[in-house]
Amino acid sequence: MDFNLSDMQRMLLDSAERLVGDRYSLEHRRALRDRQDGFDAGAWASFAELGWLALAVPEEKGGLGGSFDDVAVLMTAVGGRLVVDPLVSNAVIAPAILSDAPDAGLLAEIAAGERRVALAHDEPGERYGRGPRLTRLSRRGNGFALTGQKMLVLDAGSADTLIVTASIEGEDGTVLVRVDKNAANVTAEAYPLIDGTVAADIRFGAVDVTADAILVQAEHGQVVLEKSFDHGKIALMAQAVGSMEATLSICAAYLKERHQFGQAIGKFQALQHIMADMFVAAHQARSALYQSLSVAGGDGRARARAVSLAAITIGETSQFVSRNAIQLHGGYGVTDEYEVSHHYRRLLTLEKTYGDIDFHIRRIASLDAG
Amino acid sequence: MDLKPGGELDDFRQMVRAAVAQDLPPDMRARQRAFGGLQSENRDALKWAAILNERGWSVPHWPVEHGGQDWTPLQKFVFEDELASAWAPDVNWGATHMVGPVIYTFGTEEQKARFLPDIRAGRYYWAQGFSEPGNGSDLANLRTAAVLQGDRYIVNGQKIWTSGAHDADWGFFLVRTDPAVKAQRGISFLLIDLKSPGITIRQIPEINGEADLCEVFLDNVEVPAENLVGEPGMGWTYAKFLLDHERTTSSFIYWNKRELRRVRAIAEAETLDGLPLARLPQFQSRLARLEAEVAALEWSVLRVLAAEEFAYDLTAVASTLKVSGSRLQQAITELQVDLYGALAMRQFPIELAHQTPTPLWPENIAGRTATALGSRAATIFGGTLQIQRGIIAKLAFGL
Repeated sequence: MDFNLSDMQRMLLDSAERLVGDRYSLEHRRALRDRQDGFDAGAWASFAELGWLALAVPEEKGGLGGSFDDVAVLMTAVGGRLVVDPLVSNAVIAPAILSDAPDAGLLAEIAAGERRVALAHDEPGERYGRGPRLTRLSRRGNGFALTGQKMLVLDAGSADTLIVTASIEGEDGTVLVRVDKNAANVTAEAYPLIDGTVAADIRFGAVDVTADAILVQAEHGQVVLEKSFDHGKIALMAQAVGSMEATLSICAAYLKERHQFGQAIGKFQALQHIMADMFVAAHQARSALYQSLSVAGGDGRARARAVSLAAITIGETSQFVSRNAIQLHGGYGVTDEYEVSHHYRRLLTLEKTYGDIDFHIRRIASLDAG
Repeated sequence: MDLKPGGELDDFRQMVRAAVAQDLPPDMRARQRAFGGLQSENRDALKWAAILNERGWSVPHWPVEHGGQDWTPLQKFVFEDELASAWAPDVNWGATHMVGPVIYTFGTEEQKARFLPDIRAGRYYWAQGFSEPGNGSDLANLRTAAVLQGDRYIVNGQKIWTSGAHDADWGFFLVRTDPAVKAQRGISFLLIDLKSPGITIRQIPEINGEADLCEVFLDNVEVPAENLVGEPGMGWTYAKFLLDHERTTSSFIYWNKRELRRVRAIAEAETLDGLPLARLPQFQSRLARLEAEVAALEWSVLRVLAAEEFAYDLTAVASTLKVSGSRLQQAITELQVDLYGALAMRQFPIELAHQTPTPLWPENIAGRTATALGSRAATIFGGTLQIQRGIIAKLAFGL
């Protein structure tokens, strides 16, 4: 066991911190949010150049074949600067789905920064549903027609290609199928989330789909999806840990700088204790992340359970840390002009993505039940 | 001890309920129901005051000679409770609960005649200019200066967190008129026409997309000396009078009761595998705990209103209401967010909060996350949670 970064990971972390540290100022993020697609094309080109998009892609598909630990190192760095670009959709979820799939070069294009995907899975009336999809592929001619309604397609704003989960006529299980976002009869209604990213509700009105657009067949769909969501959640949890730790630094500096009653407010024990509790929480969060990373490469039950345990801890600690960060900043904390309110909103969306605390508690209970 | 409210209170409640049902415009009600913040739209606050004023109900808590109602404290409680339940807009708090009482208690006859009728009628929006960028919790050190030159004060300085200043016509300010004496003693209470030359107002973008909090910059603003309320140097005393005057309002009890009912409605409407969330133990547990806390808080408020003789300092008791009430505001809205799950992540533009986005989305979801985000301020404004704890330790126990 070695909890210290390898030389390669140290280099990755340094270069990541340098890039996002320079580029992702509060002003930059606020300006980005005002763009309709919420997307920074220049930054994306840099991510591709630095190999971030290829990190989790296997070498045989033209990637760097990095470990999930490497991915987590990168994610903590981007989380610390609240980089909300669609890294998880493209550099984590896409490799999880496509590494073993006949993808006609899609993953290589994503890794090169030439194409961006979004996973369209959630459907109306669900709470993190993982079961059979109402969206379905019906046979039509030599191919299929895709019909259904998806909601909350994350990172849809910057995606050009959708990976859609659907049931398929005549088979059990869930297929994952590739659809061009601009194809005929694909209707997207995009909207911002509270962290500044852009999601969409997307309707498929009997969209033409060829047989070779099926990336994952029905018999494997469920397993691939569970792995993708778990990998996505781990990456988001790493971002959350980065965000929490950055929040600690911001707050410690603020407590030293802000004066009331003739002294730095950090001299007041009431605030010292808040800061200390935030530190305890963030420390637990990083440990929880490591616990989940230790089984990230595995399959099935052990991975699911570990990810859910970490999701509970990180979900709760991230709320504790970021709410208290606002409290320590007083009125400034509830403005859009101070970093801590952005960390809070981002951490809230991280908690609610790929299963919220309640989902992960239920998942542990159902795993334990058999 | 007699813990049963009198039966005549029920009749009063029915009377108020019927009147509000008749008076409250549906569009105003819809805006209030959807609203993303903690306070209503400012213009609705004034319009609603004008409507209430037709019945003489815009300031029932004022003394009768100034236009208030001769109601018992419990009747006033029921009145507020009914208004909140019906989704009536809040009133312009600064006007009806802050500057109004200061004027009728400490103001001159001219000031009373000039300002009180307009406040009753909701004619002008009033904003509060107390906090400064460098002086929030430590308000007594405020630095905005008002220097008397002939028959006017020249005011220079900067205020912050002035809610609604961009919509306001008047502001009541704490300003330093005497820099030579001890901090609290050099402060005066000054009424300033916000359209005066030299005033610049900047709206501060907030965590939930609103921009109701403002910064007010005062650059050589001329204010007639007759706009100073009471005695020069007594501003701090008047500000403390305000806090003592409104011991129970910081509990947000009516708001908490209403929003808890909304939690229940969301929990009935949202489902997991076809089952309402209100049937699931994990949400039942959170709901029951919150209901227990709200019930206790309501009785804590009633104890103060019905003038229980407390063993502890009354200001410390008032702080308990603020501590419990502000944390409840947060816990209740957190549960609203959690009930919506992933859907709560969506940012609804504040101006569209009263619209349901598409049939795919729950009918009343817009505004809920914004309210929860805004509720982070509940443990900050009006004395932070930490300041309240300090007050309790000092005044209840002499620590």
